[in-house]
Amino acid sequence: MALHTVEFDIKLNTGTITIDVPTHTGVVGSSDMEVLMEPKDLEGGVSVRIVTPVTGFDDLWKRVLDKFVNETALSDTRIEINDNNATPAVVLLRLRQAFSQATTD
Amino acid sequence: MSKWNDLQEHSFLESNARDRALGIVDDGTFTELAGPFDRLSSPHLELLGDAVAFDDGLVSGVGRIGKTPVFVVSQEGRFIGGSIGEVGGAKMANTIKLAIDFHDKLVADYPDLSEEEKPVLVISFETGGVRLHESNAGLLAHAEVMDLFQKARGKVPVISLIGSKVGCFGGMGFVAAATDVIIMSEFGRLGLTGPEVIEQEMGKEEFDSSDRALVFRTTGGRHKYIIGDANFLVADTIAAFREKVAELAPLPVAAFEEMRRVGSPETVERQVRGVALAAEMHPQDARDVWAKAGNDDPASLTDMPLAAFLGQVKRLSV
Amino acid sequence: MEAQETMMGKGREAIEMIVDPGSFEENTVGGKSVAEEDYGPGAAVGTAKLDGKEVTIIASDGMSFNERFPVVYAGVIGMEEGYKMARSVYASLEADKDKPLDEKRALVLIVDTPGNGPGKVEEIFGMNKSTGAYQLALAEARLAGHPIVAMVIGRAVSGAFLCHGLQADNILSLDANFGTIIHVMPLTSVSRIIRKDLEVLEELSKDNPVFASGPRFFHTLGGVETLVETVEGMRPAIIEHIASIRKAKAEGKQDTLGPWGRGALGAERGGRALRPKVMDVMNKEFEAVADQYAPAR
Repeated sequence: MALHTVEFDIKLNTGTITIDVPTHTGVVGSSDMEVLMEPKDLEGGVSVRIVTPVTGFDDLWKRVLDKFVNETALSDTRIEINDNNATPAVVLLRLRQAFSQATTD
Repeated sequence: MSKWNDLQEHSFLESNARDRALGIVDDGTFTELAGPFDRLSSPHLELLGDAVAFDDGLVSGVGRIGKTPVFVVSQEGRFIGGSIGEVGGAKMANTIKLAIDFHDKLVADYPDLSEEEKPVLVISFETGGVRLHESNAGLLAHAEVMDLFQKARGKVPVISLIGSKVGCFGGMGFVAAATDVIIMSEFGRLGLTGPEVIEQEMGKEEFDSSDRALVFRTTGGRHKYIIGDANFLVADTIAAFREKVAELAPLPVAAFEEMRRVGSPETVERQVRGVALAAEMHPQDARDVWAKAGNDDPASLTDMPLAAFLGQVKRLSV
Repeated sequence: MEAQETMMGKGREAIEMIVDPGSFEENTVGGKSVAEEDYGPGAAVGTAKLDGKEVTIIASDGMSFNERFPVVYAGVIGMEEGYKMARSVYASLEADKDKPLDEKRALVLIVDTPGNGPGKVEEIFGMNKSTGAYQLALAEARLAGHPIVAMVIGRAVSGAFLCHGLQADNILSLDANFGTIIHVMPLTSVSRIIRKDLEVLEELSKDNPVFASGPRFFHTLGGVETLVETVEGMRPAIIEHIASIRKAKAEGKQDTLGPWGRGALGAERGGRALRPKVMDVMNKEFEAVADQYAPAR
């Protein structure tokens, strides 16, 4: 019954964008999530950890995060998510908000 | 425009806990303590397989308004109804403890310390009280908060802000009642027993919890202002709450004692007179009490604009 | 553990079992009246002698019914009850205000309450103030040096236990074999509301006292100092705790008592392990920035 953790790394050769400051976005409401993004030397890669009550969607998480990292060209970043049944659309929205906050603050 | 400036005109009702905390104090002065990067989430929720939050649904920290250090607790209603568990409870209690200790240190270190340089504590409530997933720890944390409020008396004034979606109920309802001063918006709700439980106890004929207007008349900001449970009623913006806090923050602690509704033999006697009135009237509806307070057309008080309401409403005196 | 006859609903009998025989004088504290005869009947308050010394008694009366407030019965704390209890505390403070620390009268709370008044009139007039008033009064008396001991004999439920019990210096409880109930709500209700199987919750509660019901779990969490095994054991246990509380207060160790003391006890007994860590993180983080918030000179 314990919470489910999904962890993976994303390494794109095109990643060039880094963030300067750690950022926190979102509230773990129902069908929502929060995300921490922190700069971290990962040889250009992005590492992800998701904690969620939902099981069986590990591949979907990977695809959504791939899409996000691809479109932003993010690199050298640690992403941590607390999820509470957010849909893929909400996940992308929160990630984009976090990215925007991390790159403009 | 900075985020802080942008926040000021936000609806307090719609704002999350962190935005309320940031916006209440001066721009750029807020330091969060035990914030999301400390990743102090609830081990009990994890064990039960329920979603966790990096801040456990409670923002705690310190900022400044003018010369006044302002300790802040802000509850997040969207995370399990703003409920209090072990971590959030410890954050709330320890914020009060830090404020008291900081007060004592400043008084010791600065012989010329002025009233407005002494710390205050602001709590933005949005909670139904104890978190059932870790109920025993939540309950014990409530008791610690009440104890610390009494320890703060004469030192650190405690200001309540109530204007968020969930309202302020359960154990946190009497925690709020025990603070020095309560600022509400008309969308805030304050009580002990939530509407569903009253319906369950008394029957739907007596109290229909799905009747939103009835629920607001019973525990909403306008009623609480009339009955004297809320000291101030302000507009639904972060700026309006902030302005009232800024006005109160420099006041000497004695001025806060005068705003108390309970906490002394004198205030208890005043409330005893209120209870006698309750026994005598047995109001079917809060409007009966509004009429008793001298409002000739109580029904009209519900929908008139806030400024008009504040201009003409008569408050209950017992 | 052998099952014992419950003390539920027997707050008045418990007073007689605890205090010196025939010494309880109702509705009077420090020679002053604190309530009319039928006011706030859910609480029996007054003065008694315990081991020859005057104490204030504040007890739930689980057999009562408040004629003026129909949701207040069976030991429920209503608006009248809360203020009546608060008055008894303030009268104790007033009576001993000029006495030295070791002569301030003890307060004995006899706890058997299922809840706070849950009605419409209660919400209109602000039931939350009544319970808040009583708790602040207890905290004030405790910090002023009065020893306060709570004795749970029956039900100590949620907000009503916060109100009547959890502000005491020390909390004693009759053990589980008396059917003593200490919780926020029964596990069956918790299971329904948080949508978890009852069997699963029961299994988890074996190792984690944090949401389970009963005096033993509260003991592990530091929410109850001592479990009492017999009704005859209540009186000596209360006398003993009053003495040890007095000693701690005389030595300036107030922080080992009351809710704050129980916080440390919880960590010690392994029940609330994260609480001190959270506080420690905050203390360190604040220390690093405190200078920014001190006055500029």
